[in-house]
Amino acid sequence: MALLGRLDWYNLARTTNWTPGSVTEDELFPPDMSGSMGIPLSKWESYDEPYKQTYPEYVKVQREKDAGAYSVKAALERSEIYEKADPGWQSVLKLHYGAFPRAEYSASTAEARMARFGKAPGMRNMATMGMLDEMRHAQLQLYFPHELCPKDRQFDWAHKSYDTNHWAVVAARHLFDDMMVTRGASEVALGLTFAFETGFTNMQFLGLAADAAEVGDWSFSNMISSIQTDESRHAQIGGPLVAILLENGRKEEAQRIVDMMIWRAWKLFSAVTGAAMDYFTPVADRKMSFKEFMLEWIVSQFERALMDLGLDKPWYWDQLVADLDHASHAMQMGFWFWRPIMWWNTPAGVTAEDRAWLEEKYPGWSESFGTVWDVITDNLLEGKKELTYPETLPMLCNMCQLPIASVPGPAWKVRDFPLEYKGRSYHFCSEGCQWCFEQEPERYAGHLSLIDRFLAGHIQPPNLEGALNYMSLAPGEIGDDAHNYAWVEKVRAARQKAAA
Amino acid sequence: MAAFPLTSNFQGDFVLQLLPVDTENTMDEVAAAAAHHSVGRRVPARPGHTLRVRRQGASELMPRTLKVSESGLKPMECIEVIWE
Repeated sequence: MALLGRLDWYNLARTTNWTPGSVTEDELFPPDMSGSMGIPLSKWESYDEPYKQTYPEYVKVQREKDAGAYSVKAALERSEIYEKADPGWQSVLKLHYGAFPRAEYSASTAEARMARFGKAPGMRNMATMGMLDEMRHAQLQLYFPHELCPKDRQFDWAHKSYDTNHWAVVAARHLFDDMMVTRGASEVALGLTFAFETGFTNMQFLGLAADAAEVGDWSFSNMISSIQTDESRHAQIGGPLVAILLENGRKEEAQRIVDMMIWRAWKLFSAVTGAAMDYFTPVADRKMSFKEFMLEWIVSQFERALMDLGLDKPWYWDQLVADLDHASHAMQMGFWFWRPIMWWNTPAGVTAEDRAWLEEKYPGWSESFGTVWDVITDNLLEGKKELTYPETLPMLCNMCQLPIASVPGPAWKVRDFPLEYKGRSYHFCSEGCQWCFEQEPERYAGHLSLIDRFLAGHIQPPNLEGALNYMSLAPGEIGDDAHNYAWVEKVRAARQKAAA
Repeated sequence: MAAFPLTSNFQGDFVLQLLPVDTENTMDEVAAAAAHHSVGRRVPARPGHTLRVRRQGASELMPRTLKVSESGLKPMECIEVIWE
């Protein structure tokens, strides 16, 4: 018997908005869980997913992808790529694995929310496969670093990070819990798949894959590229939803969620991807600067995607573009100066070659961040290492949970964005983070940043020892300079040569 | 006397920092405490200059002998510490 072609039966098979008989529509699809925004069930049936994939096709393709990723890993296991890699690249891996694998399980929960409560049948079908995608991503990204644990204990953070109160994990959870696991299906589709996955995962998973290939880390490059092929499929869940929301007069709601989540994702990636691309990756292996990647993958791509879908550019767009000049530098500087409270070793990234690259990619760097690195470098050259450590905590933003930081030096423009809400003082790093809070203050008001927790006495004793213990940083995991300060001797030699 | 946390925004530095002071501290003492966490660590010293304190965004400087308890500053309020 001849089989029908997929397109001959797909639409009929997945048209599963049956009329409920024993329960009401709202009992079947609770509005809070569905994010239905008052749009009736019948209107959701026009949802037209761009990827029309069946389950047997999905399984076949995924099996091939997994076979590819695991076989490359197996083939390269004895090649000592990790051992031969620059310590800066080793730190890229530690940062990536600590930040993302466990979040993939949250993403799986988010896809499950859409698979069960999405009111559009096509969304439910795509999200069922998306849910399996995200489990695969978690498992791949836990399996790959597992073999590195005996080589370096900091890789334990791939699995343990999400169970800790580490400051960076609090930042990641604050975003991912907000975006993935505490909203209805429509908000998840807008925030996770459209705002986050269409752009920002490209940055981390394609941008870093390119750098990994340059470094020669084919195992990592191949694995995250494999993940990205899933992302580019299920990221398409949000687009057709926007069309339905706009057709039914819900543009304002769609725009608000998209604007919030683009801003929130931008802040987190400015730290994780920004520092990795502009400092952690050895200068000879950097494909593009973080700013260049952002301009190509986020700014241009989102402008086009937003316009194509009938949405507007977020109100803060010009500010985001302006922040590209300094955000990655400020985050990396914070990573390095507060290095004992990281689970990775931050490279300084300020040899003469690095500085030339930074000045070329970010004109004015030498007069701003360069002046701070001059003080740090002089202290190390003069044997005053104690002055290169902090004796207090950086202020953290009550939205992104990252340090409130900006441009140092003569053009100094650091500032606090304070807000009083119901008798409590909140501090934000930017107008964008404050605006996100003000959209849904009751949602965010109860959260305590690490600084709030310190002041409330949660961290005991109130010193570095107490902070390390609170954040579960064990001996052997505490961060230091990635190159064990070897770069300082390069600077010394260069200065002596210049003086001779 | 009581511990009083402020937020230090030190001229030329890149990050805001938690600044524990005391309600009896003068603004000169607050400025010195802020300098401890910035000058010589990330900000070069400026011999011959004085450090002054102002509220974030204010144009007028707080008197050098004014105590924290008399200043009207709220806990964790952001002060700017600038060279004069």
